Amino acid sequence: MNTTISIEPLTRIEGHARISIDLDEAGNVADSRLHILSLRGFEQFICGRPAEEIPRIVTRICGICPWMHHLASVKAVDACFGVKPPPTGALLRELCQVMAHINDKILHFFFLAAPDFILGPDADYSVRSIMGIVRADPELANRVAAMRKLGQQLLEEFAGRAIHPVAGVSGGFSKPMTKEERQRLQQGCRTLLEFAVFALTYGRDEVLNKYQNILQTLGRIETGFLGTVDTNGAMRLYDGDLRLMKADGSFTDFAPEQYKEHIKEHVENWSYGKMPWADSWQEGFSMDLDRPRGIYRTNTLARINICDHISTPIAQEALEEFRDLFGRPAQGTLLYHWARLIELVYTCERSLELLADDRITGDMIRHNVQPGAGRGVGHVEAPRGTLIHEYTTDENGCITSANMIVGTTHNLAPMNMSVRQAATDLIKNGHYDEGILNRIEMAVRAYDP
Amino acid sequence: MNIRLAAESLHSCSGCEISLLNIGEALIPLLNRLQLVHLPLLMDHKYSDPAGSETEISIPKAEIGLVSGGVANTHQLQVLEAMRKSCTTLVALGTCGTHGGIPAMINEWPMADALQTVFSTVTTEPVDVPNQDTPPMLDRVYSLDEKTDVDIFLPGCPPDPTIIARVLEDFLDGLTPEPVTKSVCDTCPTRRTGKSERKLLRFTANARFDSNESTASMQCLLEQGFLCMGPVTAGGCGHQGEPACIRARVPCRGCYGPVRHQDNQMLGMLNGLVSQGIDFKTIIDRKSMLRFSGAHGRLRPLKEKKRAS
Amino acid sequence: MRPEHKPKIIAFCCNWCGYAAADLAGIQRIQYPDSLRIIRVMCSGMVHPEMVLHALNKGADGVMIIGCQLGECHYIDGNEKAMARAELIDELLEDFGFENDRFLITRLSSSESEQFARTVGTMHKRVLELGPNPNSNQDNGDTP
Ligand code: SF4
Ligand code: SF4
Ligand code: SF4
Ligand code: FES
Repeated sequence: MNTTISIEPLTRIEGHARISIDLDEAGNVADSRLHILSLRGFEQFICGRPAEEIPRIVTRICGICPWMHHLASVKAVDACFGVKPPPTGALLRELCQVMAHINDKILHFFFLAAPDFILGPDADYSVRSIMGIVRADPELANRVAAMRKLGQQLLEEFAGRAIHPVAGVSGGFSKPMTKEERQRLQQGCRTLLEFAVFALTYGRDEVLNKYQNILQTLGRIETGFLGTVDTNGAMRLYDGDLRLMKADGSFTDFAPEQYKEHIKEHVENWSYGKMPWADSWQEGFSMDLDRPRGIYRTNTLARINICDHISTPIAQEALEEFRDLFGRPAQGTLLYHWARLIELVYTCERSLELLADDRITGDMIRHNVQPGAGRGVGHVEAPRGTLIHEYTTDENGCITSANMIVGTTHNLAPMNMSVRQAATDLIKNGHYDEGILNRIEMAVRAYDP
Repeated sequence: MNIRLAAESLHSCSGCEISLLNIGEALIPLLNRLQLVHLPLLMDHKYSDPAGSETEISIPKAEIGLVSGGVANTHQLQVLEAMRKSCTTLVALGTCGTHGGIPAMINEWPMADALQTVFSTVTTEPVDVPNQDTPPMLDRVYSLDEKTDVDIFLPGCPPDPTIIARVLEDFLDGLTPEPVTKSVCDTCPTRRTGKSERKLLRFTANARFDSNESTASMQCLLEQGFLCMGPVTAGGCGHQGEPACIRARVPCRGCYGPVRHQDNQMLGMLNGLVSQGIDFKTIIDRKSMLRFSGAHGRLRPLKEKKRAS
Repeated sequence: MRPEHKPKIIAFCCNWCGYAAADLAGIQRIQYPDSLRIIRVMCSGMVHPEMVLHALNKGADGVMIIGCQLGECHYIDGNEKAMARAELIDELLEDFGFENDRFLITRLSSSESEQFARTVGTMHKRVLELGPNPNSNQDNGDTP
């Protein structure tokens, strides 16, 4: 009799998902699916509302990366109304965005992913969690908790709110930065950078090196990548051009406004999550493991792969080491974790770089805006991938239509493939246990959905 | 004494759980006093045996259960019922759970229309709405107390970490948490002069303030002519004596829901504005005043004739 | 399907005029529809829109506010506030799924008992035409 294994809920990820794996009569994997179970309809309910309010609404798409939606949205609204923020406003926005990345990466690596490595993929589920780390290594746990708190606090003290922010406003930013605030932030970011450098070494030596055997193999698939770079090809998170790279390393760069010429979204009738794919490659869409078509990935590994270099010194050094080991583009799915730690270092370095710019304490933070008819695309690199918001507005400056491609969704097709790959590899002749099922989830967790 | 804690998130954004984690260092002693039995964001307890013999959702018994998010599909409803069965005290964590939250804005449209819109955006291949192995959506988004008995309401989008920590500590110490009775204005230090604008402005220009001075020297934003929902919103956000958005010098949008659970934020606010002689017809998109509390039938699709016009 | 619709109308009557007029109508034995349920308030200015909505949500088929004639409010300008609010209520009822004809505000002096009965009669007819309250949240069916 054929059986279906179901893993529900997927745990230590953001959001709501279930995996089902169909076994054939011999007990081998016949099919598998990663189902996204709910849908909220933001594209519908922001319609008719004044566009300047949208950045305060779409934050609720995701409570883990609300700054990303906030800022992609504010950029889209700027474009609808035809304004650009003054330099100080833009610096303040970018600072908040990269600082939010810092907090997210600490959360993901230590709270969500690390238990699998520090306590082991086969540890009992009651132990294999941050609480297990609290018991196994209380010093580390305390340090991680303190760093997360510091990161969130710095943002909150300066911008009012860390979760579901409000300080990004059409035309700029809602408040300037005082000299004292700048000093406090600089001090805090230095502490965070120190921790990031520790995390990178700790992650590489204590965690990833010990799992060499699965780092390159678990959930491994061959795909293209999408991310953002500046005109010099350096990695960027807040703005820049999109770069879409094929699995063979060749790539095209294009302005974010042109996303529709490159990306389409595929729908399977067993999931509410849409699956973006590269239409411009003109090869169609297929999640076939041996011959995938149109499949690309986003998020940390993608950004590390597509960029020519990183503009800050410590992260660049780490990138070089990474490339020596794994090549470009690197395809191992668990390498997402490694790439995440490199980005953690970059975001700390970048925060300090932005804080060092004297314009950041300027008074001119916001241009007055005139609501009106328009169309605008806003994009940022969110922790989970390239995030795109596009709106059109009527003459009152109210939304008439919206399209959003959320970071995580780019990786839905690849995640489905990684699940299939891991399951096929690990489940044989009907044999599986908790440790094996957790390894399949680890393939998903690498993407940090 | 070992207090067991279970947590679930339904029609939500996970922000409430992140706020829980933002308790920071103080979280660790808390975690040591609590025994987590189910919390999908942090630990790997599953609903049932993967072999699928039991399709029931099983959640271990717990003294305290935190549920964030409202209810919008059949699956979320099952999870909520399972939580209710397993938990002695059920806490609605966050405004989605207490009043529907942002996702309940969809209640202004028939659910089928909303699904249609999502699956027909410019970049989406022309398809039918997924309907296989995807839990059917309910007719609208419900708050938790519309679907089950809730013992403690903890609004906020998300509730401030200090509020969550205090409730958990109270619970561990055997105390009943005090409900909020203050509004955001009651906790706001801004200067009130008694003189206000007669017309409301859109927030397309910043408020007037001196950035080197504290918020206490800034004139009340409502008086400056910006719609600020402070008067009709439950207080508790922010620390150090200033509401969180006011700290960022932007007006309140009402994310903690109404001051008393059953109040209507839009009616309350408009009533206040009208009593002050402000022309409510100049307000663009008044239904946004219910953007955090659209459950309980507050937001609903307009009758056909009105929508067409 | 209900065989016969027996509407319920809630009337918030201010103590000094609306309620006095109703009282007088009673003393004079003037006939008016039994659909009326009077709630006495000190002044029409204290009826928050929330109370009107609450009545409708709880199943009332119509709601009236009856205060003093302009200039005669015993609290100076309570009835003017009530008028401003009534405009709001009129506008908002459709947002909450109710026909705005289910609401009526009016002003009477304490001696206008005939007028009182006529207004109630008008409202009664209006509500009969609209039919039962469509959107009442009431689901226990405890109609007396
Ligand atoms: S209340 Fe706010 S933070 Fe909590 S789940 Fe809902 S949207 Fe997210
Ligand atoms: S209306 Fe807004 S700014 Fe004014 S006191 Fe209330 S919360 Fe503060
Ligand atoms: S000021 Fe208002 S919108 Fe802002 S956090 Fe507080 S309650 Fe929420
Ligand atoms: S006292 Fe009758 S309306 Fe004010």
